[in-house]
Amino acid sequence: MKLSAPLARVTGTLLLTAFLLVALAVAVQGAFQTRASIADTFARQASIEQAQIALEELLRLQIYEESLLRGYSLTHDTFYVDQYQEAVADFDAKVAAIRTTLAAQRLDSVRLMLEQYVGLQARWRSTIAAPMLSHPDRQLLEMDKRNKFLSDYETKIVEAIRNALANTNAELARTTQTELDRSSYARTFWLLVFGLLAILFNGFRSRLYQELEEEKNTTEILQRAFRSESVPLPNCRIGSAYLSAGSHLAVGGDVFDVYRLSNSLALLLIADVSGKGVDAAVLTAFIKFTIRGIALRRRDPGAILGEFNTAFAQTVENPYLFVSMFVGVLDTDSLLLTYASAGHDSAFMRRSSGVQQLAVTGPVLGVMEEPFGTKSVIMEDGDILVLATDGLTEARKRTGEQLRETGAIDLIAAASDDPQLLADELVAQVRALGGNHPRDDLAILAIRADPPKAAPHA
Amino acid sequence: MRSASLLLCAAMLAFGACARANAATPAADAAATPAACRLHAGEKVVLFSAGGDPAVFVWDSPVRLRDYNAASYDEAQAMAVRATLVAPGTRALVASCRHNYVQSPYSEQPDDAVGITIITGPQRGHDYWVLGSDVRRVSHVAVPAP
Repeated sequence: MKLSAPLARVTGTLLLTAFLLVALAVAVQGAFQTRASIADTFARQASIEQAQIALEELLRLQIYEESLLRGYSLTHDTFYVDQYQEAVADFDAKVAAIRTTLAAQRLDSVRLMLEQYVGLQARWRSTIAAPMLSHPDRQLLEMDKRNKFLSDYETKIVEAIRNALANTNAELARTTQTELDRSSYARTFWLLVFGLLAILFNGFRSRLYQELEEEKNTTEILQRAFRSESVPLPNCRIGSAYLSAGSHLAVGGDVFDVYRLSNSLALLLIADVSGKGVDAAVLTAFIKFTIRGIALRRRDPGAILGEFNTAFAQTVENPYLFVSMFVGVLDTDSLLLTYASAGHDSAFMRRSSGVQQLAVTGPVLGVMEEPFGTKSVIMEDGDILVLATDGLTEARKRTGEQLRETGAIDLIAAASDDPQLLADELVAQVRALGGNHPRDDLAILAIRADPPKAAPHA
Repeated sequence: MRSASLLLCAAMLAFGACARANAATPAADAAATPAACRLHAGEKVVLFSAGGDPAVFVWDSPVRLRDYNAASYDEAQAMAVRATLVAPGTRALVASCRHNYVQSPYSEQPDDAVGITIITGPQRGHDYWVLGSDVRRVSHVAVPAP
């Protein structure tokens, strides 16, 4: 099914809004992801810095062990042995802590170097420290070269571990910087996307409103062109009024017509087309002139509606369009009104005894092939036939409640005797109810039976 | 490759040939001292190691010094017997220097090989090669009378 232009415009707006929302969601998700990633990198950096500190402490303990051993060798004081044992325990504890960190950070190559270092220190303890502790009188010089060799080698490995940890930390810092850069670029990108989408959105919305405004103007011009002017009828006075819906809505398809079929017969028409816009406005023209054409041949309102219903079904292919319509034929001599109503319940007769709602005689047009009944009523002097579109009965009060038929009847009963004043007053009431922003168009046609008064006898 | 060279060298050591082949006296090398070296011929220095043990290994050739520092643990252990251990604080005169001549697999930066003549201690009067990082420049070192 081909999309109509307004539908396409709405779809475009929805798509643009969806793009905006997706862009926003991606930007927010990206920001959170970047934050989590940077937090993880910072945690790793902190952990590695702890390992670096522990490594320096390890080296200090290694040198401390050697110094204590030398102290013991020179003095034979067991104080140095106790201190040495404590240093060994501290060294092993530090190694365990570094092992845990390296395993957590998955620095396997550094772990291997650490194990090599620990192995060397164990070898130093067994080949240098243990013999010295067992035989303090032994000359340390005998083992000096071996001690130097192991010590140097340990120093080299520690330096390698130090370099590896520093490199890892530098790499993490670079990763953080890259992440921050990437995040900045991504934010800039999404900012640009947001900006462009916002500009597009704004432009699209402006164009949409402009088009809607133009369409509304066109529709109003069409409606004014198709709407009947008041045609004088014998023995009657006519009033009419039209209230257009708020500017943010497209104009609806309300139409009324008063057309003289002959010297003594007049066609009275009011209809409300479902839908709004140019399509509905053009349809009002179709209704008005088709009904006139049929009424020139047929005088029975029910038959007029039946024939129009057939023409409507054959002409209008849009299944979503239907029409409620009231057609009356008024004999201006006898003031006999015959009428038929296709689902149009806003037809009232105001008499001195009160306001009566005229019956609906068939379904709305464009829905099904059904016969339409015809009813008649004699209008007495002063009776006013009030025909309205659903903008009257469906007008909402400030509470949100609809006026309905009973509310309309109350308004009509309270309105002026003059048909034009009555129509104007009804429009004013509806406008007041809607806070000057009525939700729907409203057409009022009022015909007052006003036969000439016989001159009083002297 | 380096292991093969060391094995060959070890075999030659049995005949004393390797030592002669690697022999390069610091005095003879003095003219080749590059400007990039931190130390220059004639400077007074003190030997002191910044590692765990402050004593210093000195070598009779720069090649041996380089090979020892580039060797693996087992190779280095085998080669260490060829080194002379001098006490920290031993004084010396710089005879020559080879810039960035020594590269250890455990260090990112290469080190200089410094040719020295020891002027104090049991090794006094002997020429050796030592790592640049084991040499401290001092201006107040008094050269004892021979």
